[in-house]
Amino acid sequence: MKHLQVLLLLAGLLLGSGLAQAANLDLQLAADPKNPSSPTMGDWMHFNSVISNTGQQAIDGLVAWISLVEVTAGHEQPMDLEDWSAHKAVTGTTLAPGGSLQTNWPVRLIKQGDYRVVISATDRNDKTVFTSPTIQFHVAQKPVVESRRILPVALGLPLFIGGLMGYRRYKQHHAG
Amino acid sequence: MLIDANHLHLNLQGQTILEDVSLHLAAGEIYGLLGPNGAGKSTTIALLLGLYQADRGDLKLFDTEPRDNVALHRRIGVMPEHAGFYEWMSANDYLVWYAGLYGGLLQPVDSLLQQVGLEATGHKPISQFSRGMKQRLGLARALVHGPELLILDEPTNGLDPRGRREIHDLLLSLADERRVGILLCTHLLDDVERLCSRIGILDRGRNVAEGSLPELLGANRSGRRYRLRIRGVPDNQQLPPDLKLLRRDGDWWHVEISPTMAADPSRVWEDLLVHGWQYTEIHAESGGLETLYLQLTGAATDKQEEAA
Amino acid sequence: MKPSSLIAQKERGALLQNQRGLAWLLAYSGILSAFALLLISNKELSLLDNAQIVYMMAGTVTAAGALIAVIMGADAFAGERERGTLVPLLTAPVSPAQLLMGKALGLVSAWLLMYLLALPYLWAVGAGGQNLLQAIFYLALFGTPVVLGFGYLAMALSARSGSVLSSMLTSLIVLLFSASPLLIGPGLRNSVIGKAIDAVNPFSGALNTFDSVIIDSAPFSGQLARLALVLIWLSITFLAARVTARHPNFR
Repeated sequence: MKHLQVLLLLAGLLLGSGLAQAANLDLQLAADPKNPSSPTMGDWMHFNSVISNTGQQAIDGLVAWISLVEVTAGHEQPMDLEDWSAHKAVTGTTLAPGGSLQTNWPVRLIKQGDYRVVISATDRNDKTVFTSPTIQFHVAQKPVVESRRILPVALGLPLFIGGLMGYRRYKQHHAG
Repeated sequence: MLIDANHLHLNLQGQTILEDVSLHLAAGEIYGLLGPNGAGKSTTIALLLGLYQADRGDLKLFDTEPRDNVALHRRIGVMPEHAGFYEWMSANDYLVWYAGLYGGLLQPVDSLLQQVGLEATGHKPISQFSRGMKQRLGLARALVHGPELLILDEPTNGLDPRGRREIHDLLLSLADERRVGILLCTHLLDDVERLCSRIGILDRGRNVAEGSLPELLGANRSGRRYRLRIRGVPDNQQLPPDLKLLRRDGDWWHVEISPTMAADPSRVWEDLLVHGWQYTEIHAESGGLETLYLQLTGAATDKQEEAA
Repeated sequence: MKPSSLIAQKERGALLQNQRGLAWLLAYSGILSAFALLLISNKELSLLDNAQIVYMMAGTVTAAGALIAVIMGADAFAGERERGTLVPLLTAPVSPAQLLMGKALGLVSAWLLMYLLALPYLWAVGAGGQNLLQAIFYLALFGTPVVLGFGYLAMALSARSGSVLSSMLTSLIVLLFSASPLLIGPGLRNSVIGKAIDAVNPFSGALNTFDSVIIDSAPFSGQLARLALVLIWLSITFLAARVTARHPNFR
């Protein structure tokens, strides 16, 4: 009898947890076909996500966001998207049952390394966070600052002005 | 009349700076404006130049009420006391540039520099000029546009005796030959006695005297004291009426000339000879403008000393 | 030549022929050189995105330009007064408006020179990257009113106070305050006060536009509100200078 009571309690708990999971989202993520095949720093990459409501109830207050994680060996870390993307989230959307939301996420490649991008979503009423599959890509280094351009300017101009000062001083002392 | 200022009053930030100041200067005249530090001389000059507006009083410059500072400044040359220059420029370049503000030079820059004794230094940067040279350059700047009225604040400061004499001669010739009216602000009473036909004394923002030197000395009964070395005495031992014996110290006789003659004592010395006196040396001891100045501004000076 | 042109010519001479003026230019190019050299000597910075670097350089040029403009503006009336050259100007046949115009044009010439000096630096750090031409264009469009505005503010204070030190310090405090939202970081900038300061701060306006057009390739139409902000800043500071320069402190 005691065994039966325990079984009924467990069944009740399982049923209850199933009822509480009102939202049911499916997230798909794909790299844009136009993305450069070997991306380097400064390039743009686009990622297309599709968020579908596979549940029976409408989802209000949907929030979806993009995350970027660096997975370069020895530099594993989440990235601050401040300089990478101005389009960081979709908020306040309502998805009807069976409805879907397509979003294009542009990302500017700021730093070299290996990265994974992922889209996450949740809604106002549910505590669950749904995530898309990740896409990994490599950003090749591009020398943005070239010392052969900078050195002549950074040293040459102050030297030129300093020389002009010296010339003026010399001319003043030898005038009249 | 170049300057006809009557009963000028000026308040700045709630403080009375000038109170009943009058000043009159005609063409060809040199006017000495005297007064202790803080008496209001520079403020009076600023007011004449339109940099301040009088609260009360009448001011006419060139016989008209000044309304347009730009037009007014074309007729006035100014040498401020603390005259500065763009020192990276040469004297030549500076004067040409400054004359440009007046529409250009009236005479070649070399002759202007020669006039103030700066010939052969025109290409030197001003930074290499001595204080005296800068004073001369300041005068050249004031003369650059051939003004009818010159306002000079301590123009002989920093000059050696020869330089001072040269500037005196230049000012006298400007007044005599070109009929330029000159307002001279100075602490050097010798300069005033030598150059000025009219004098105004300011004290604590007020006119305490205005007139010619003889008028002022007469009005204030300020005698002038001398020390004479007497070699021959007439039998009656009578001095001329304008001369009073103060005391005797061997050959040295200490005398005072009456205020009416103090401005021109040479007539008294001639009179002395006529009366049968023989003298070998005359030394001024006090009196004249200096005594008058100290008498009129003494109260202020005493108070300043007390405060110090 | 008009008096204002003559005064502007003298101001240019003070910058290019005077040791002090040349020293300011040397300091300005020194700031830009230090930043450029930092980019190649620091690995993290050298790997920054090209547009990011151009944006930072444009911001540095604006800040250094504003700094020099403040020094020049503070010197405009008070420096002349302290060196004894103001009274000869005030007693020459030059109206206060012409005197201010000459000083203002002198500042424009100085900024033009600083802008031209900045071009090689922008090219050196940004050639081959994106939006270099936009950076050059927007630096002229937004940097000019911001820099001149700070110069005119210092000029207004300089004419009023007659003291180089006091007018320069006050203007520098305003400049630092303007730059403070950038120093306190994005967190505080997103607060209500931070946003309010950003909305009226010409310095932030210019930098936000640089960010927007150089890094995010945003269109001109999105910058109109900020352009209005920097132009209003320029107008207000110039008006303030006009008011105080009518009766400059010459004693």
